[in-house]
Amino acid sequence: MVQLQRVSKIYPSGLTALTDISLRIDRGEFVFVVGPTGSGKSTLLKLLYRAELPTHGRVLVYGRDVGRLRAGTVAGLRRTLGVVFQDFKLLPQRTALENVAFALRVTGTPTSELIPRALQALDRVGLAHRREAVPAELSGGEQQRVSIARALVHDPPLLLADEPTGNLDPDSSWGIMQLLSRINLRGTTVIVTTHNKAIVDVLRQRVVQLADGRVARDQRQGLYAVPV
Amino acid sequence: MLSRSSAFRQFLREGEASFRRNGLMTVAAVTTVTVALLTVGFAIAGGLNLSHLAATLNTQVEIVAFLRDGMRPAEVTRTQTAIAEITGVAAVHFVSRAEALARLERRLGASPAFADLAKHNPLPDSFDVRVRDARLTGAVAGALQGQPGVEDVTYAAQVVDRLVAVTRVMRLMALLLTVALSAVAVIVVTNTLRLTVIARWREIEIMELVGATRWFIRWPFLIEGMLQGLVAAVAAGTVLLLLYALAAARLRTGLPFLPMVPAIDLAAPLLIAMIGCGVALGAAGSFVAVRRFLST
Repeated sequence: MVQLQRVSKIYPSGLTALTDISLRIDRGEFVFVVGPTGSGKSTLLKLLYRAELPTHGRVLVYGRDVGRLRAGTVAGLRRTLGVVFQDFKLLPQRTALENVAFALRVTGTPTSELIPRALQALDRVGLAHRREAVPAELSGGEQQRVSIARALVHDPPLLLADEPTGNLDPDSSWGIMQLLSRINLRGTTVIVTTHNKAIVDVLRQRVVQLADGRVARDQRQGLYAVPV
Repeated sequence: MLSRSSAFRQFLREGEASFRRNGLMTVAAVTTVTVALLTVGFAIAGGLNLSHLAATLNTQVEIVAFLRDGMRPAEVTRTQTAIAEITGVAAVHFVSRAEALARLERRLGASPAFADLAKHNPLPDSFDVRVRDARLTGAVAGALQGQPGVEDVTYAAQVVDRLVAVTRVMRLMALLLTVALSAVAVIVVTNTLRLTVIARWREIEIMELVGATRWFIRWPFLIEGMLQGLVAAVAAGTVLLLLYALAAARLRTGLPFLPMVPAIDLAAPLLIAMIGCGVALGAAGSFVAVRRFLST
Protein backbone atom coordinates (compact mmCIF):
# COMPACT_ATOMS: atom_id res chain seq x y z
CA MET A 1 0.00 0.00 0.00
CA VAL A 2 2.72 2.47 1.04
CA GLN A 3 6.43 2.09 0.61
CA LEU A 4 9.30 4.44 1.34
CA GLN A 5 12.64 3.47 -0.16
CA ARG A 6 15.69 5.20 1.34
CA VAL A 7 13.83 8.48 1.55
CA SER A 8 15.50 11.68 2.68
CA LYS A 9 13.92 15.11 2.87
CA ILE A 10 15.98 18.26 3.15
CA TYR A 11 13.95 21.48 3.05
CA PRO A 12 15.22 24.41 0.94
CA SER A 13 16.13 26.16 4.19
CA GLY A 14 18.69 23.42 4.77
CA LEU A 15 16.70 21.73 7.52
CA THR A 16 16.98 17.96 7.33
CA ALA A 17 13.60 16.47 8.21
CA LEU A 18 14.07 12.83 7.23
CA THR A 19 17.23 10.80 6.65
CA ASP A 20 17.33 7.51 4.79
CA ILE A 21 13.89 6.22 5.79
CA SER A 22 12.75 2.84 4.50
CA LEU A 23 9.29 1.71 5.49
CA ARG A 24 6.59 -0.59 4.21
CA ILE A 25 2.94 -0.40 5.24
CA ASP A 26 0.54 -3.06 4.01
CA ARG A 27 -3.15 -2.97 3.18
CA GLY A 28 -5.34 -2.90 6.28
CA GLU A 29 -2.65 -1.89 8.74
CA PHE A 30 -3.06 0.66 11.52
CA VAL A 31 0.20 2.48 12.16
CA PHE A 32 1.11 5.05 14.81
CA VAL A 33 4.00 7.31 13.91
CA VAL A 34 5.40 8.73 17.17
CA GLY A 35 8.32 10.88 18.16
CA PRO A 36 9.05 14.32 19.58
CA THR A 37 8.12 17.53 17.78
CA GLY A 38 10.48 18.08 14.85
CA SER A 39 11.32 14.41 14.47
CA GLY A 40 9.84 14.36 10.97
CA LYS A 41 6.38 12.83 11.54
CA SER A 42 4.44 15.47 9.63
CA THR A 43 6.98 15.51 6.81
CA LEU A 44 6.52 11.77 6.44
CA LEU A 45 2.77 12.19 5.90
CA LYS A 46 3.29 15.18 3.60
CA LEU A 47 5.41 13.01 1.34
CA LEU A 48 2.52 10.53 1.10
CA TYR A 49 -0.10 13.05 -0.03
CA ARG A 50 2.52 14.87 -2.06
CA ALA A 51 2.52 18.17 -0.27
CA GLU A 52 6.30 17.71 -0.30
CA LEU A 53 8.63 15.90 -2.64
CA PRO A 54 11.44 13.65 -1.37
CA THR A 55 14.98 14.98 -1.82
CA HIS A 56 16.32 11.44 -2.24
CA GLY A 57 14.69 8.05 -2.53
CA ARG A 58 11.27 6.93 -3.72
CA VAL A 59 7.82 7.21 -2.15
CA LEU A 60 5.33 4.68 -3.48
CA VAL A 61 1.60 4.97 -2.76
CA TYR A 62 -0.57 2.24 -4.25
CA GLY A 63 2.60 1.23 -6.13
CA ARG A 64 2.91 4.59 -7.87
CA ASP A 65 5.98 6.77 -7.47
CA VAL A 66 4.43 9.87 -5.94
CA GLY A 67 7.55 11.96 -6.55
CA ARG A 68 7.23 11.43 -10.28
CA LEU A 69 3.55 12.28 -10.65
CA ARG A 70 2.92 15.00 -13.17
CA ALA A 71 1.34 18.10 -11.66
CA GLY A 72 -1.93 17.33 -13.42
CA THR A 73 -2.30 13.90 -11.80
CA VAL A 74 -1.75 15.01 -8.20
CA ALA A 75 -5.46 15.80 -7.91
CA GLY A 76 -6.17 12.18 -8.90
CA LEU A 77 -3.91 10.87 -6.11
CA ARG A 78 -5.53 13.13 -3.52
CA ARG A 79 -8.99 11.79 -4.35
CA THR A 80 -7.82 8.32 -3.33
CA LEU A 81 -6.41 9.55 0.00
CA GLY A 82 -8.11 10.90 3.07
CA VAL A 83 -6.16 13.46 5.07
CA VAL A 84 -7.06 14.73 8.55
CA PHE A 85 -5.27 17.54 10.38
CA GLN A 86 -4.81 18.78 13.92
CA ASP A 87 -6.58 22.05 13.05
CA PHE A 88 -9.48 20.35 11.21
CA LYS A 89 -9.29 22.74 8.22
CA LEU A 90 -13.03 23.25 8.02
CA LEU A 91 -14.68 26.19 6.26
CA PRO A 92 -16.15 28.30 9.08
CA GLN A 93 -19.13 29.68 7.16
CA ARG A 94 -20.41 26.31 6.00
CA THR A 95 -22.37 23.70 7.84
CA ALA A 96 -21.01 20.27 8.66
CA LEU A 97 -22.89 18.81 5.73
CA GLU A 98 -21.66 21.50 3.34
CA ASN A 99 -18.08 21.01 4.50
CA VAL A 100 -18.26 17.32 3.65
CA ALA A 101 -20.14 17.92 0.39
CA PHE A 102 -17.54 20.53 -0.56
CA ALA A 103 -14.95 17.77 -1.09
CA LEU A 104 -17.35 16.04 -3.47
CA ARG A 105 -18.44 19.17 -5.26
CA VAL A 106 -14.97 20.45 -6.10
CA THR A 107 -14.02 17.08 -7.53
CA GLY A 108 -16.87 17.10 -10.02
CA THR A 109 -19.42 14.83 -8.32
CA PRO A 110 -22.92 15.08 -9.84
CA THR A 111 -25.06 17.50 -7.84
CA SER A 112 -27.71 14.87 -7.15
CA GLU A 113 -25.16 12.66 -5.33
CA LEU A 114 -23.68 15.40 -3.12
CA ILE A 115 -26.14 15.37 -0.23
CA PRO A 116 -26.75 11.60 0.03
CA ARG A 117 -23.05 10.78 -0.03
CA ALA A 118 -22.10 13.58 2.38
CA LEU A 119 -24.86 12.46 4.77
CA GLN A 120 -23.65 8.89 4.59
CA ALA A 121 -20.11 10.01 5.48
CA LEU A 122 -21.40 12.11 8.39
CA ASP A 123 -23.38 9.10 9.55
CA ARG A 124 -20.21 7.00 9.57
CA VAL A 125 -18.63 9.39 12.09
CA GLY A 126 -21.87 9.60 14.09
CA LEU A 127 -22.70 13.20 13.30
CA ALA A 128 -25.66 12.95 10.94
CA HIS A 129 -27.84 14.72 13.55
CA ARG A 130 -25.46 17.73 13.60
CA ARG A 131 -25.40 18.25 9.86
CA GLU A 132 -26.79 21.79 9.96
CA ALA A 133 -24.30 23.07 12.57
CA VAL A 134 -21.44 25.34 11.51
CA PRO A 135 -17.98 24.58 12.96
CA ALA A 136 -18.28 27.24 15.68
CA GLU A 137 -21.35 25.43 17.06
CA LEU A 138 -19.49 22.11 17.24
CA SER A 139 -17.06 20.90 19.92
CA GLY A 140 -13.46 20.20 18.95
CA GLY A 141 -14.12 16.48 18.83
CA GLU A 142 -17.19 17.00 16.65
CA GLN A 143 -15.24 19.27 14.29
CA GLN A 144 -12.59 16.61 13.92
CA ARG A 145 -15.32 14.06 13.15
CA VAL A 146 -16.59 16.31 10.38
CA SER A 147 -13.09 16.52 8.95
CA ILE A 148 -12.82 12.72 9.12
CA ALA A 149 -16.16 12.44 7.35
CA ARG A 150 -14.81 14.73 4.66
CA ALA A 151 -11.69 12.57 4.36
CA LEU A 152 -13.83 9.43 4.04
CA VAL A 153 -16.35 10.77 1.56
CA HIS A 154 -14.33 9.51 -1.42
CA ASP A 155 -14.00 6.04 0.21
CA PRO A 156 -10.20 6.17 0.21
CA PRO A 157 -8.23 2.96 0.80
CA LEU A 158 -5.76 5.02 2.85
CA LEU A 159 -6.44 7.54 5.62
CA LEU A 160 -3.70 9.83 6.89
CA ALA A 161 -4.16 11.68 10.17
CA ASP A 162 -1.61 14.28 11.28
CA GLU A 163 -1.94 14.76 15.07
CA PRO A 164 -5.73 14.35 14.92
CA THR A 165 -6.08 14.67 18.70
CA GLY A 166 -3.52 17.44 19.17
CA ASN A 167 -6.19 20.06 19.92
CA LEU A 168 -8.62 17.82 21.80
CA ASP A 169 -9.34 17.00 25.43
CA PRO A 170 -8.70 13.39 26.55
CA ASP A 171 -12.32 12.24 26.20
CA SER A 172 -12.68 13.61 22.70
CA SER A 173 -9.24 12.25 21.78
CA TRP A 174 -10.31 8.83 22.88
CA GLY A 175 -13.47 9.05 20.80
CA ILE A 176 -11.55 10.08 17.69
CA MET A 177 -9.02 7.24 18.09
CA GLN A 178 -11.85 4.73 18.52
CA LEU A 179 -13.42 6.09 15.37
CA LEU A 180 -10.16 5.72 13.46
CA SER A 181 -9.83 2.16 14.75
CA ARG A 182 -13.36 1.34 13.57
CA ILE A 183 -12.58 2.78 10.15
CA ASN A 184 -9.48 0.59 10.07
CA LEU A 185 -11.49 -2.49 10.98
CA ARG A 186 -13.66 -1.90 7.92
CA GLY A 187 -10.55 -2.28 5.75
CA THR A 188 -9.09 1.19 5.44
CA THR A 189 -5.35 1.51 6.01
CA VAL A 190 -4.78 4.19 8.66
CA ILE A 191 -1.56 6.08 9.43
CA VAL A 192 -1.69 8.38 12.47
CA THR A 193 0.99 10.65 13.86
CA THR A 194 0.50 11.38 17.54
CA HIS A 195 1.91 12.48 20.86
CA ASN A 196 -0.83 10.72 22.79
CA LYS A 197 0.98 8.12 24.86
CA ALA A 198 -2.08 6.81 26.68
CA ILE A 199 -3.95 5.99 23.51
CA VAL A 200 -0.98 4.37 21.76
CA ASP A 201 -0.34 2.21 24.80
CA VAL A 202 -3.95 1.05 25.01
CA LEU A 203 -4.55 0.32 21.33
CA ARG A 204 -1.34 -1.72 20.92
CA GLN A 205 -0.97 -1.18 17.19
CA ARG A 206 2.17 -1.04 15.06
CA VAL A 207 4.37 1.84 16.25
CA VAL A 208 6.99 3.56 14.10
CA GLN A 209 9.12 5.82 16.26
CA LEU A 210 11.05 8.61 14.60
CA ALA A 211 14.04 10.36 16.15
CA ASP A 212 15.98 13.09 14.36
CA GLY A 213 14.44 12.07 11.04
CA ARG A 214 15.39 8.39 11.29
CA VAL A 215 13.35 5.32 12.18
CA ALA A 216 14.39 4.57 15.74
CA ARG A 217 11.93 1.70 16.26
CA ASP A 218 9.30 -0.19 14.24
CA GLN A 219 7.32 -2.54 16.45
CA ARG A 220 4.14 -4.60 16.05
CA GLN A 221 1.66 -4.13 18.91
CA GLY A 222 4.07 -1.57 20.26
CA LEU A 223 3.94 0.90 23.08
CA TYR A 224 4.50 4.65 22.84
CA ALA A 225 7.94 4.27 24.29
CA VAL A 226 10.18 1.29 25.02
CA PRO A 227 9.69 0.38 28.69
CA VAL A 228 12.82 0.93 30.67
CA MET B 1 -18.53 14.16 -13.77
CA LEU B 2 -20.43 17.35 -13.37
CA SER B 3 -22.03 18.34 -16.63
CA ARG B 4 -20.05 21.04 -18.38
CA SER B 5 -22.73 23.68 -18.43
CA SER B 6 -23.63 23.24 -14.78
CA ALA B 7 -19.95 23.45 -13.77
CA PHE B 8 -19.60 26.56 -15.86
CA ARG B 9 -22.70 28.11 -14.29
CA GLN B 10 -21.22 27.43 -10.89
CA PHE B 11 -17.90 29.07 -11.83
CA LEU B 12 -19.80 32.01 -13.21
CA ARG B 13 -21.86 32.36 -10.06
CA GLU B 14 -18.81 32.23 -7.78
CA GLY B 15 -16.82 34.61 -9.94
CA GLU B 16 -19.68 37.04 -9.95
CA ALA B 17 -20.33 36.68 -6.19
CA SER B 18 -16.69 37.40 -5.43
CA PHE B 19 -16.81 40.38 -7.77
CA ARG B 20 -19.58 41.87 -5.63
CA ARG B 21 -18.03 40.89 -2.26
CA ASN B 22 -14.67 42.59 -2.72
CA GLY B 23 -16.36 45.86 -3.55
CA LEU B 24 -13.78 48.54 -2.86
CA MET B 25 -10.77 46.68 -4.18
CA THR B 26 -12.73 45.69 -7.24
CA VAL B 27 -13.63 49.30 -7.86
CA ALA B 28 -9.95 50.21 -7.52
CA ALA B 29 -8.89 47.51 -9.97
CA VAL B 30 -11.62 48.31 -12.46
CA THR B 31 -10.78 52.02 -12.26
CA THR B 32 -7.09 51.40 -12.85
CA VAL B 33 -7.74 49.10 -15.76
CA THR B 34 -10.20 51.66 -17.11
CA VAL B 35 -7.56 54.39 -16.98
CA ALA B 36 -4.99 52.10 -18.57
CA LEU B 37 -7.42 51.13 -21.31
CA LEU B 38 -8.41 54.77 -21.80
CA THR B 39 -4.81 55.73 -22.43
CA VAL B 40 -4.40 52.77 -24.72
CA GLY B 41 -7.62 53.78 -26.44
CA PHE B 42 -6.45 57.36 -26.90
CA ALA B 43 -3.25 56.05 -28.39
CA ILE B 44 -5.23 53.80 -30.75
CA ALA B 45 -7.64 56.59 -31.72
CA GLY B 46 -4.75 58.99 -32.24
CA GLY B 47 -2.87 56.43 -34.26
CA LEU B 48 -5.88 55.65 -36.43
CA ASN B 49 -6.42 59.33 -37.10
CA LEU B 50 -2.79 59.91 -37.99
CA SER B 51 -2.94 56.98 -40.36
CA HIS B 52 -6.12 58.37 -41.82
CA LEU B 53 -4.53 61.81 -42.15
CA ALA B 54 -1.42 60.35 -43.72
CA ALA B 55 -3.45 58.26 -46.13
CA THR B 56 -5.57 61.26 -47.12
CA LEU B 57 -2.57 63.49 -47.58
CA ASN B 58 -0.70 60.75 -49.38
CA THR B 59 -3.26 60.67 -52.12
CA GLN B 60 -3.52 64.44 -52.12
CA VAL B 61 0.17 65.20 -52.48
CA GLU B 62 0.62 66.81 -55.83
CA ILE B 63 3.74 67.65 -57.73
CA VAL B 64 3.56 70.46 -60.24
CA ALA B 65 5.83 70.25 -63.26
CA PHE B 66 6.05 73.58 -65.08
CA LEU B 67 6.68 73.47 -68.81
CA ARG B 68 8.82 75.84 -70.79
CA ASP B 69 6.99 78.29 -73.00
CA GLY B 70 6.09 77.61 -76.56
CA MET B 71 5.81 73.82 -76.61
CA ARG B 72 3.84 72.34 -79.44
CA PRO B 73 0.77 70.23 -78.50
CA ALA B 74 2.44 67.07 -79.85
CA GLU B 75 5.45 67.68 -77.58
CA VAL B 76 3.15 68.24 -74.61
CA THR B 77 1.35 64.96 -75.32
CA ARG B 78 4.64 63.09 -75.62
CA THR B 79 5.83 64.48 -72.26
CA GLN B 80 2.52 63.61 -70.63
CA THR B 81 2.81 60.00 -71.81
CA ALA B 82 6.37 59.80 -70.53
CA ILE B 83 5.34 61.19 -67.12
CA ALA B 84 2.47 58.74 -66.84
CA GLU B 85 4.97 55.91 -67.21
CA ILE B 86 7.16 57.02 -64.29
CA THR B 87 6.94 54.55 -61.40
CA GLY B 88 4.76 55.88 -58.60
CA VAL B 89 2.72 58.27 -60.71
CA ALA B 90 -0.99 57.81 -60.13
CA ALA B 91 -2.34 60.45 -62.52
CA VAL B 92 -1.14 63.27 -64.76
CA HIS B 93 -3.34 66.18 -65.54
CA PHE B 94 -2.46 68.89 -68.03
CA VAL B 95 -3.14 72.39 -66.81
CA SER B 96 -2.99 75.05 -69.49
CA ARG B 97 -1.86 78.56 -68.64
CA ALA B 98 -5.43 79.75 -69.10
CA GLU B 99 -6.74 77.13 -66.70
CA ALA B 100 -4.02 77.98 -64.19
CA LEU B 101 -5.02 81.60 -64.35
CA ALA B 102 -8.67 80.70 -63.85
CA ARG B 103 -7.77 78.69 -60.73
CA LEU B 104 -5.77 81.59 -59.40
CA GLU B 105 -8.66 83.88 -59.97
CA ARG B 106 -10.98 81.56 -58.08
CA ARG B 107 -8.57 81.46 -55.21
CA LEU B 108 -7.83 85.18 -55.01
CA GLY B 109 -11.19 86.47 -56.07
CA ALA B 110 -11.72 89.19 -58.63
CA SER B 111 -9.73 92.29 -57.82
CA PRO B 112 -8.42 95.19 -59.84
CA ALA B 113 -4.90 93.86 -59.57
CA PHE B 114 -6.04 90.57 -61.00
CA ALA B 115 -7.63 92.13 -64.05
CA ASP B 116 -4.26 93.62 -64.88
CA LEU B 117 -2.63 90.22 -64.45
CA ALA B 118 -5.11 88.57 -66.77
CA LYS B 119 -4.10 90.78 -69.65
CA HIS B 120 -0.57 89.43 -69.66
CA ASN B 121 -0.93 85.94 -68.24
CA PRO B 122 2.49 85.19 -66.65
CA LEU B 123 1.69 81.57 -65.83
CA PRO B 124 3.27 78.69 -67.77
CA ASP B 125 1.58 75.48 -68.88
CA SER B 126 2.01 72.73 -66.31
CA PHE B 127 1.21 69.17 -65.32
CA ASP B 128 -0.40 68.26 -62.01
CA VAL B 129 1.11 64.92 -61.08
CA ARG B 130 -0.52 62.81 -58.34
CA VAL B 131 1.67 60.27 -56.60
CA ARG B 132 0.45 56.88 -55.45
CA ASP B 133 2.29 57.12 -52.10
CA ALA B 134 3.72 60.20 -50.42
CA ARG B 135 6.97 58.39 -49.73
CA LEU B 136 7.61 58.22 -53.50
CA THR B 137 7.24 61.98 -53.89
CA GLY B 138 10.96 62.73 -53.88
CA ALA B 139 11.80 60.05 -56.45
CA VAL B 140 8.97 61.05 -58.76
CA ALA B 141 9.95 64.71 -58.53
CA GLY B 142 13.52 63.78 -59.48
CA ALA B 143 12.34 61.77 -62.47
CA LEU B 144 10.07 64.62 -63.59
CA GLN B 145 13.00 66.99 -63.64
CA GLY B 146 14.58 64.99 -66.43
CA GLN B 147 11.57 65.01 -68.75
CA PRO B 148 11.85 66.98 -72.01
CA GLY B 149 10.18 70.35 -71.75
CA VAL B 150 9.93 70.33 -67.92
CA GLU B 151 11.46 73.50 -66.64
CA ASP B 152 10.78 73.39 -62.94
CA VAL B 153 9.25 70.98 -60.39
CA THR B 154 7.72 71.94 -57.06
CA TYR B 155 6.03 69.96 -54.29
CA ALA B 156 5.43 70.28 -50.59
CA ALA B 157 8.53 68.30 -49.77
CA GLN B 158 8.87 69.10 -46.11
CA VAL B 159 5.23 68.58 -45.28
CA VAL B 160 5.29 65.13 -46.78
CA ASP B 161 8.57 64.14 -45.16
CA ARG B 162 7.48 65.36 -41.75
CA LEU B 163 4.15 63.63 -42.01
CA VAL B 164 5.83 60.32 -42.81
CA ALA B 165 8.24 60.74 -39.89
CA VAL B 166 5.58 61.84 -37.40
CA THR B 167 3.35 58.94 -38.30
CA ARG B 168 6.17 56.49 -37.71
CA VAL B 169 7.11 58.02 -34.34
CA MET B 170 3.47 58.16 -33.21
CA ARG B 171 2.91 54.53 -34.09
CA LEU B 172 6.00 53.52 -32.14
CA MET B 173 5.02 55.62 -29.14
CA ALA B 174 1.50 54.25 -29.15
CA LEU B 175 2.91 50.73 -29.21
CA LEU B 176 5.34 51.37 -26.34
CA LEU B 177 2.66 53.12 -24.29
CA THR B 178 0.27 50.25 -24.87
CA VAL B 179 2.82 47.68 -23.75
CA ALA B 180 3.81 49.66 -20.64
CA LEU B 181 0.23 50.34 -19.58
CA SER B 182 -0.77 46.74 -20.17
CA ALA B 183 2.00 45.67 -17.82
CA VAL B 184 0.76 48.12 -15.19
CA ALA B 185 -2.79 46.88 -15.63
CA VAL B 186 -1.71 43.26 -15.17
CA ILE B 187 0.11 44.17 -11.95
CA VAL B 188 -2.90 46.04 -10.56
CA VAL B 189 -5.34 43.28 -11.43
CA THR B 190 -2.96 40.72 -9.96
CA ASN B 191 -2.74 42.62 -6.69
CA THR B 192 -6.47 43.13 -6.42
CA LEU B 193 -7.19 39.52 -7.11
CA ARG B 194 -4.47 38.45 -4.71
CA LEU B 195 -6.64 39.88 -1.94
CA THR B 196 -9.57 37.85 -3.20
CA VAL B 197 -7.36 34.81 -3.35
CA ILE B 198 -5.98 35.42 0.15
CA ALA B 199 -9.53 35.77 1.44
CA ARG B 200 -10.21 32.33 0.05
CA TRP B 201 -6.86 30.66 0.73
CA ARG B 202 -8.41 28.21 3.17
CA GLU B 203 -10.89 27.13 0.55
CA ILE B 204 -8.13 26.77 -2.03
CA GLU B 205 -6.02 24.76 0.41
CA ILE B 206 -8.89 22.37 1.10
CA MET B 207 -9.77 22.11 -2.56
CA GLU B 208 -6.19 21.08 -3.29
CA LEU B 209 -6.17 18.59 -0.41
CA VAL B 210 -9.35 16.83 -1.44
CA GLY B 211 -8.22 16.57 -5.04
CA ALA B 212 -9.76 19.44 -6.99
CA THR B 213 -7.90 20.01 -10.23
CA ARG B 214 -5.92 23.19 -10.66
CA TRP B 215 -8.19 24.38 -13.44
CA PHE B 216 -11.24 23.82 -11.29
CA ILE B 217 -9.65 26.06 -8.64
CA ARG B 218 -8.55 28.67 -11.18
CA TRP B 219 -11.74 29.16 -13.14
CA PRO B 220 -13.72 31.31 -10.67
CA PHE B 221 -10.74 33.65 -10.29
CA LEU B 222 -10.18 33.80 -14.03
CA ILE B 223 -13.83 34.63 -14.55
CA GLU B 224 -13.65 37.32 -11.89
CA GLY B 225 -10.58 38.87 -13.53
CA MET B 226 -12.19 38.73 -16.97
CA LEU B 227 -15.37 40.35 -15.61
CA GLN B 228 -13.28 43.19 -14.16
CA GLY B 229 -11.55 43.60 -17.50
CA LEU B 230 -14.85 43.57 -19.36
CA VAL B 231 -16.44 46.21 -17.11
CA ALA B 232 -13.32 48.37 -17.38
CA ALA B 233 -13.27 48.00 -21.17
CA VAL B 234 -16.91 49.00 -21.56
CA ALA B 235 -16.42 51.98 -19.23
CA ALA B 236 -13.26 53.12 -20.97
CA GLY B 237 -14.77 52.56 -24.42
CA THR B 238 -17.86 54.61 -23.57
CA VAL B 239 -15.87 57.50 -22.11
CA LEU B 240 -13.44 57.46 -24.99
CA LEU B 241 -16.09 57.43 -27.71
CA LEU B 242 -18.03 60.24 -26.02
CA LEU B 243 -14.92 62.39 -25.72
CA TYR B 244 -13.93 61.53 -29.25
CA ALA B 245 -17.31 62.40 -30.70
CA LEU B 246 -17.23 65.74 -28.85
CA ALA B 247 -13.68 66.50 -29.98
CA ALA B 248 -14.46 65.47 -33.55
CA ALA B 249 -17.49 67.77 -33.64
CA ARG B 250 -15.42 70.69 -32.32
CA LEU B 251 -12.61 70.06 -34.77
CA ARG B 252 -14.93 69.70 -37.71
CA THR B 253 -16.18 73.25 -37.21
CA GLY B 254 -12.81 74.67 -36.13
CA LEU B 255 -10.50 72.92 -38.57
CA PRO B 256 -12.72 71.66 -41.38
CA PHE B 257 -9.81 70.76 -43.67
CA LEU B 258 -8.43 68.27 -41.11
CA PRO B 259 -9.64 64.81 -42.06
CA MET B 260 -10.81 62.84 -38.99
CA VAL B 261 -12.07 59.32 -38.69
CA PRO B 262 -15.80 59.63 -37.82
CA ALA B 263 -16.67 58.40 -34.30
CA ILE B 264 -19.11 55.87 -35.76
CA ASP B 265 -16.36 54.25 -37.84
CA LEU B 266 -14.07 54.22 -34.83
CA ALA B 267 -16.59 52.65 -32.42
CA ALA B 268 -16.54 49.02 -33.51
CA PRO B 269 -12.78 48.44 -33.90
CA LEU B 270 -12.02 50.43 -30.76
CA LEU B 271 -14.58 48.64 -28.58
CA ILE B 272 -13.55 45.24 -29.86
CA ALA B 273 -9.88 46.03 -29.24
CA MET B 274 -10.54 47.39 -25.76
CA ILE B 275 -12.79 44.55 -24.68
CA GLY B 276 -10.23 42.09 -26.01
CA CYS B 277 -7.43 43.87 -24.15
CA GLY B 278 -9.47 44.23 -20.95
CA VAL B 279 -10.55 40.60 -20.79
CA ALA B 280 -7.03 39.40 -21.63
CA LEU B 281 -5.54 41.67 -18.96
CA GLY B 282 -8.03 40.45 -16.36
CA ALA B 283 -7.38 36.81 -17.19
CA ALA B 284 -3.61 37.30 -17.12
CA GLY B 285 -3.75 39.15 -13.81
CA SER B 286 -5.86 36.53 -12.07
CA PHE B 287 -3.81 33.69 -13.50
CA VAL B 288 -0.69 35.19 -11.95
CA ALA B 289 -2.48 35.87 -8.67
CA VAL B 290 -3.73 32.30 -8.23
CA ARG B 291 -0.51 30.67 -9.37
CA ARG B 292 1.29 31.67 -6.19
CA PHE B 293 -1.30 29.92 -4.07
CA LEU B 294 -1.35 26.67 -5.95
CA SER B 295 1.28 24.49 -4.37
CA THR B 296 1.30 21.77 -6.98
